[in-house]
Amino acid sequence: MLSIVTRRVIRLVVVLAGVSLVTFAILQVSGDPISLMMPEAPEADRAVLRQSMGFNDPLPVQFARFLGNIVRGDFGQSFFHREPALPIVLARMPTTLLLTLLAMGLSLVIALPVGIVSAVRRNSAFDHTATLVVFLGTSMPVFWTGIMLILLFAVQLRVLPVSGWESWAALVLPGFTLATFSTPLLLRIVRSSMLEVINLDYVRTARAKGVSEWFVVCRHALTNAALPLVTVAGLQFGLLLGGAIITETVFAVPGLGRLIVGAIRQLDFPIVQAGVFVLALIVVLVNFAVDMLYLYLNPQIRVH
Amino acid sequence: MKRSIVPAVALALLALVGPAPAFAQAKDTLTVALVSHAPTLDPHMHFERVGILVNINMFDSLLHRSTKLQFEPSLATSWKAVTDTQWEFKIRKGVRFHNGDVLTPADVKYSFDRVLDQTKKSPQYGNIRAIKEVKVVDAETVHIITDKPFPLLLERLVFFPIVNKKHVETVGDQAFGTTSPVGTGPWKFVEWKRDQLIRLEAFDQHWRGKPPFKHLIFRAIPETATQVAEVKTGGVDIIRDVSADLVPDLKSHPQAYISSTPILRVHYVNLDMRVAPFDKKGVRQAANYAIDKSAIIQKMMAGLGTQVATTVQPLAFGFDPEVKPYPFDPKKAKELLAQAGYPNGVDITLHSSSVAYRPVFEAMAEMLTEVGIRATPRMWDPGPAWNKFLQAEGKATQGMYGTWGNYSVFDADAVLHPLYHNEPGGWIGRWYARVEGLDKLIDEARSTVDQPKRKRLYSQIQQMIREEAPSIFLWTQYDTLGISKKVQYAARPDEWLWLYDAKPAAR
Amino acid sequence: MAIGTLAPPMDARAGSGHAAERSRVWRKFVRNPAAIGGALVLLTVIGAALFAPYVAPHEPARQSLIRRFTPPIWTQGGKATYVFGTDQVGRDILSRMIHGARVSLLVGVAAVLVSLTVGVTLGLMSGFLQGRVDTVIMTVVDVTLSFPQLLLALAFVAALGPSLLTIIVVLGLTGWERYTRVVRAEVLALREKDFVEAARAIGASSTRTLLRHLLPNTFSSIIVMSTLQVAQAILQEAALSFLGVGTGSAYPTWGQMISLGRDFVTVAWWLPTFPGLAILLTVLAINLVGDRLRDALDPRVG
Repeated sequence: MLSIVTRRVIRLVVVLAGVSLVTFAILQVSGDPISLMMPEAPEADRAVLRQSMGFNDPLPVQFARFLGNIVRGDFGQSFFHREPALPIVLARMPTTLLLTLLAMGLSLVIALPVGIVSAVRRNSAFDHTATLVVFLGTSMPVFWTGIMLILLFAVQLRVLPVSGWESWAALVLPGFTLATFSTPLLLRIVRSSMLEVINLDYVRTARAKGVSEWFVVCRHALTNAALPLVTVAGLQFGLLLGGAIITETVFAVPGLGRLIVGAIRQLDFPIVQAGVFVLALIVVLVNFAVDMLYLYLNPQIRVH
Repeated sequence: MKRSIVPAVALALLALVGPAPAFAQAKDTLTVALVSHAPTLDPHMHFERVGILVNINMFDSLLHRSTKLQFEPSLATSWKAVTDTQWEFKIRKGVRFHNGDVLTPADVKYSFDRVLDQTKKSPQYGNIRAIKEVKVVDAETVHIITDKPFPLLLERLVFFPIVNKKHVETVGDQAFGTTSPVGTGPWKFVEWKRDQLIRLEAFDQHWRGKPPFKHLIFRAIPETATQVAEVKTGGVDIIRDVSADLVPDLKSHPQAYISSTPILRVHYVNLDMRVAPFDKKGVRQAANYAIDKSAIIQKMMAGLGTQVATTVQPLAFGFDPEVKPYPFDPKKAKELLAQAGYPNGVDITLHSSSVAYRPVFEAMAEMLTEVGIRATPRMWDPGPAWNKFLQAEGKATQGMYGTWGNYSVFDADAVLHPLYHNEPGGWIGRWYARVEGLDKLIDEARSTVDQPKRKRLYSQIQQMIREEAPSIFLWTQYDTLGISKKVQYAARPDEWLWLYDAKPAAR
Repeated sequence: MAIGTLAPPMDARAGSGHAAERSRVWRKFVRNPAAIGGALVLLTVIGAALFAPYVAPHEPARQSLIRRFTPPIWTQGGKATYVFGTDQVGRDILSRMIHGARVSLLVGVAAVLVSLTVGVTLGLMSGFLQGRVDTVIMTVVDVTLSFPQLLLALAFVAALGPSLLTIIVVLGLTGWERYTRVVRAEVLALREKDFVEAARAIGASSTRTLLRHLLPNTFSSIIVMSTLQVAQAILQEAALSFLGVGTGSAYPTWGQMISLGRDFVTVAWWLPTFPGLAILLTVLAINLVGDRLRDALDPRVG
């Protein structure tokens, strides 16, 4: 067991190094960063700055310097805010995490009951309708879903605030909008896990013994679904972070996604790099945790 | 049933905290939506319109402008020109800063020195670099000395916030811009949640008296549809830059209304005179004849615009009503084009970053194409990439469509110089405009304070550029605000949000 | 998006029964009305894309200031010539949508082709060469998966400058990992099979044998994944347009039409709604078809 964990940790570090490389590449690919920082300065000044900031050094040297810096938490100064980039990014992170976790939670809350009922009443009207409705959510661009929900619930029905992040009620629409991203897959997993167990012998036995059918069904469905759900959890997390970018912009949520979008627009690359790296780091850590959880839940692999 | 879990959860959440603040407000709070916040609240260290709008409600300047655009005393109670290059200002007594300190002339001098100090790298340096020195004469008098006669001085002083010397030196520039921006304005700072809101509170000892609203909140909402939805539901009281197409929607909504007024902002298409085809006057004039300005104003701007003969706006000093705008005459345009050597038309590219006016941009490209100037419109996102393309490299060929707000300076110089002057430090003119003799006239007009003389020079300039057509001359626009019916406020011709004048609506 | 369970490798011995297999799959597919409906929608969309200049009633770029914001034909104020109404400069929405089908599908399909090429190649390399090459490639997969796809696409498109080519390449390069994994798993599984040993014993190249048997086994998975990824690419392009880094080309994609029209939704609902419906129906159709295709190809599901 320990050797597996060690191997995974090593892989984690290597992946992080790869993440750093890609993050580093973003700035390099954009052309001359000095021109972006000071577009109106005469070329002579820019050349001097380029030299002093090390942009003339060979790429591997620059990358090594970049790695050294980020290990110390130094992503440079934001061009726009004129403050260190990392603290700005970290300040916005909890908001995005909250939104993402909320969306995942809502997804589960929808997927579990709907998935179970869909499997039990397989191929019924409910089953088809549920599949269709859930698919509908993912077949529309997220920003469009968000705007439609605002128009319906906030403007027309007036039951929820339009945007912002000031009250619990303000979390509902953005959370729900983002949840449409991840619900279909979770629904499908729950449903197919249910289908796998529903006719198994021990279920029939339990039914014969008089135990409440729903109780039996649910308990076994959940147990069977737990593993695949955990497996995709990490993947879903990354997907939701992407959707959060858009949701935050539509609903004026002060999160990391919106910060990065703004920074990209302003070509404020220290923030872009810090933001992208932090998000990737979270995904890597979440996947690692999921991996460990999977090992724990799935005894067969442990024995290997 | 299980299917109703989500709405049940939502309602439960709502029940926990009661209705959202948006619905239960007693009207002592004014909420304004901006598309974003400036990177700092330090009024000297940015040049964003969204930042200026917040700063003017927290800081005072020496002069203020009334809604009729007259100069009014603010922190300066009176002023006079002692010589061509020296002005005297009497400073108001008994003005308090938000932290209790009393305003002194030393604060005034400090404020100017701070921006003039090139090591501080203030983006506003260029606006006041004509000021050579600010001298404290006595406990209530300050002299401002310019190196040459500077006719725009008073204009520039309408937005030049005065800050507290002792306070800034104590807390440092960084903290001043983020956690304790102390000024003398009607509202004082409470908190700034980045990307979310700036919260201000009425300053009871403000020298004008207390403002009608106790709380003022500036929210950052990037998405137009969201802003419109907010003003309809009362989550926000004022939104700005409302597109003409959305005006009917807000006008007809029971909870909102529109306030619109002509402003300085002028639209133009600057033509690159360095290269073909716009190096030929005939082609430039043809472009002017090709655009049906009145159709665009009526059909695309809901009539909220006025055609202009040149880029000098009717509200600006120096405007000459005798110079007449180009009429819409596509036939003449085709003739001029053929005479200039393009009987089969010519292909050009136009650039723009005025995203809100994209439909207008596309319509104009179409109109040019109809007369043979086959224009491909290329839209850019406003930001560093665009700045680099346009200003650092001068690549926006063969022309660019833009708007110029003059930074609320009601003087012809504030548009002529940046758009057409060739000096290396200029904005757009240095790349694209090449009108002979124009630079000299512009320089002459800005180095004298003899207003009648300046007026004559500007008339001359307007005739010259009307003839030479370095731009396609279009129109000035209106500033349109969307306002909740719970609030009484009117749009201003200088595009300011002077919220001291905003009141709760009479019930 | 929808990845779900993949079809297990079909028994290589079924080689001779391929024809029977294919007709069984077809029958399973055809039985499902949703799949039929989806297929019809897709055919319509592809047809529109292919024959756009002949099918579109108007020139998509033709403006008419008088006719701005004409509502759809069945509402008050609608005109017979503009079935879905016109936009903010008077261009016919339907015509723009038909031409938009071209660009949207082009982006979707091209991006998937890029993904496919890169992914399958790397998967083959990983499976065949094994050892260090395999480790490196799988690490690259892990690294790519660590970034939220949209975010990476956004950052690179913004850095490189938005253009049709950039978007296709960037979207393609952020979605290849799934193919690599499938192909690699298949290669590894096949290596163990007896018939490979047997083939080697009689002197046939093991590589060629593997390749010959690889394709049918991974075919179904790849088909299903590709169709689903086209849907995903269309949606991501819409997201990129919303975030301001759209293709910037003369003919807008559906995503761009929604993005440009969203500000007007309260005064001219038809502007973003019809392209939105187009995306909705197309993506839905792709998902339904892909779903049923997978079910049909999966021998386990009855």
